[in-house]
Amino acid sequence: MKFGKRLKHQMQETLPSWRDKFLSYDHLKKLVRLISSAPAMLIGKSGKAKAQFLYVLNNEIDKFNAFFMEREEDFIIRHEGLRQRIRKVTDTWGPNDSHSSKIMYENEVGKLRKDIVDLHGEMVLLVNYSNINYTGLAKILKKYDKRTGALLRLPFIQEILEQPFFTTDLISKLVKECEGTINTVFPVEEEEERKIEVREAMTVTGEGIFRNTVVALLTMQEIRRGSSTYSKYSLPPINLPADLDIIRLVQLNPSIPIV
Amino acid sequence: MWNLGDSKAMSSAFPNLPTPLDVSYSRLPDSFHRSAQRENPMHSLLPQPSSLGNSYSSSSSLPFDSQFSSVYPHERYPQNSPISMSPSGGKSLSHTHSELQSTPVASYPEENKDMSWCPDSIEEFLHFPENVPDQNGLVDTSTGAIISDDHAERTDWSDLYPLISFDGALDSNWELSVDNVVDPKPEVLNHSSDILVQQPNIQQHQPAQSGEIFTSPDPESTAPSTKARMRWTQELHEAFVEAVNQLGGSDRATPKGILNVMKVEGLTIYHVKSHLQKYRTAKYKPESSEGACEKNLTPVEEMNSKDLKTMGMTEALRLQVELQKQLHEQLETQRKLQLQIEEQAKYLEKMFEQQRKMEDNKVKPTSSTSDERNKIGTSTPMDEGSQDASLKQNAQEPATHENHDPPGDADSGALPTKRARTG
Repeated sequence: MKFGKRLKHQMQETLPSWRDKFLSYDHLKKLVRLISSAPAMLIGKSGKAKAQFLYVLNNEIDKFNAFFMEREEDFIIRHEGLRQRIRKVTDTWGPNDSHSSKIMYENEVGKLRKDIVDLHGEMVLLVNYSNINYTGLAKILKKYDKRTGALLRLPFIQEILEQPFFTTDLISKLVKECEGTINTVFPVEEEEERKIEVREAMTVTGEGIFRNTVVALLTMQEIRRGSSTYSKYSLPPINLPADLDIIRLVQLNPSIPIV
Repeated sequence: MWNLGDSKAMSSAFPNLPTPLDVSYSRLPDSFHRSAQRENPMHSLLPQPSSLGNSYSSSSSLPFDSQFSSVYPHERYPQNSPISMSPSGGKSLSHTHSELQSTPVASYPEENKDMSWCPDSIEEFLHFPENVPDQNGLVDTSTGAIISDDHAERTDWSDLYPLISFDGALDSNWELSVDNVVDPKPEVLNHSSDILVQQPNIQQHQPAQSGEIFTSPDPESTAPSTKARMRWTQELHEAFVEAVNQLGGSDRATPKGILNVMKVEGLTIYHVKSHLQKYRTAKYKPESSEGACEKNLTPVEEMNSKDLKTMGMTEALRLQVELQKQLHEQLETQRKLQLQIEEQAKYLEKMFEQQRKMEDNKVKPTSSTSDERNKIGTSTPMDEGSQDASLKQNAQEPATHENHDPPGDADSGALPTKRARTG
């Protein structure tokens, strides 16, 4: 499947408020086509066309940056907030051994676990957002260079690499920290027990962040599958680990039509 | 292709210039690299309160760079307001300024790098209107013909972008960017400002964006409409939380108070205010409802979120985390690869440059020629797997556009294809 379609699919499946924050890939593609098919490639004309193209690109990048930094800030706040909540919960109900407080603890911890896992998921989805937009930009630039014979791609990409939306180090760090936090609130379980419960768990997978993640993984795999323009600059195919039959199970689940 | 031809001419005259006209924006990578460094003082905190001051001085010593950091990429090219190149440029600049001030916050995303702009760069922009008319006068005659042609073609663009008007003034601007390439260099060299000498092309763009500079930020500016975007970090947030707690909690703390306690240079009350708002919302709105707003909860999920004791819930969550971890891992790997690819491309480009230069130097027999040959021969690229092999081969091909190289052995057989696995 072509990138444009995959991107659209991702956008449809993504969290609602994110939908319009992705790259306007089709629009840019049309623009490139328009530029390259301009009848008389006067020097002046191409200068203006290029400026137009850059204008649109820069606007897109601004859009990514703004959205990304806003989400990033949000995640930082939420992550810290969750940490505080954990401390509070363990302090209030942890040490107490009474039955009622145990129930309260379980309740609270349950909610906490859900929230942390969702936060983790959203953060990862933001990294995915960053990446897929970058991929789209790289593709568009490659198209542009190909169609107009310009040498815009390389320097422009170099700049993109420095952009806030692409520098995902902070978010990745947060993700790792989140994983650590998750480990502290989740009980340690036996491997066999886990396998038994996997089937049970499959029934509760619905929409939302989980589904999003699955879609993102599959999309990534598809994108890297190889195409007619596969070159030494393309990413190698993805290897999803052997025991990740989760995805297959999810695909088989009729309530989640993943194309 | 006139591009390459031109590049040859330019490379001999200005070895530092990016050669093709099309790469007029390539200048910006340097500036961006400087201003977009992650170690930007804004990220660090109390231990380095004066670091922002340092960045000020550093950017003033690189007026060229900081100037262009402002140019890219936040440019709105305000093509609606005709930024004419006439001496009345000063007027139009301020006009743009006031226009931009009314820009709504949401559409004005600025990085915190903007903080590092020093007042000097703004001054340099102001020098523009004086210098530009020279260029204008120089080129006007030659652009006449081209402009008339453009008028005919212009409708395409106006249709596509109805909001953007392509008026005459702008046309001449764009033409100028082209004509300057072939202009006799001495004209350019006579300019006092370094910037103008180096980038005749960018010159045309700058007046269009200099309006931006005023609104961007000078973080200490008193203008309430200064809307620089702040990039928060964990440390910064921790300091924030500490300040808030000191002041008696998120309800009692005021932005001004927090600002004073934090004592972070470059932080404006606007930043603190918006951050405080987010903080308060996050505190009092239970996390689960926040997450629910984003998700489309199916009936199954809703039911389970109430029945929290079921093992299924914990297991579902575990599953979710596993998957998320996988995605993250893949993303990180992908990102590393992407960076590597670009590194390679950059390296290749450098090789081509050197080769081109070498060919130019062949005309004049100098001892430096053999040095260059040695350089090219001995410098080894980083070892990054099989992709290297094909790249090394192609490095010898002169003037080959890197993107047009035939798809080679990128798909190394070493990678087992697991495409069919997950169906």
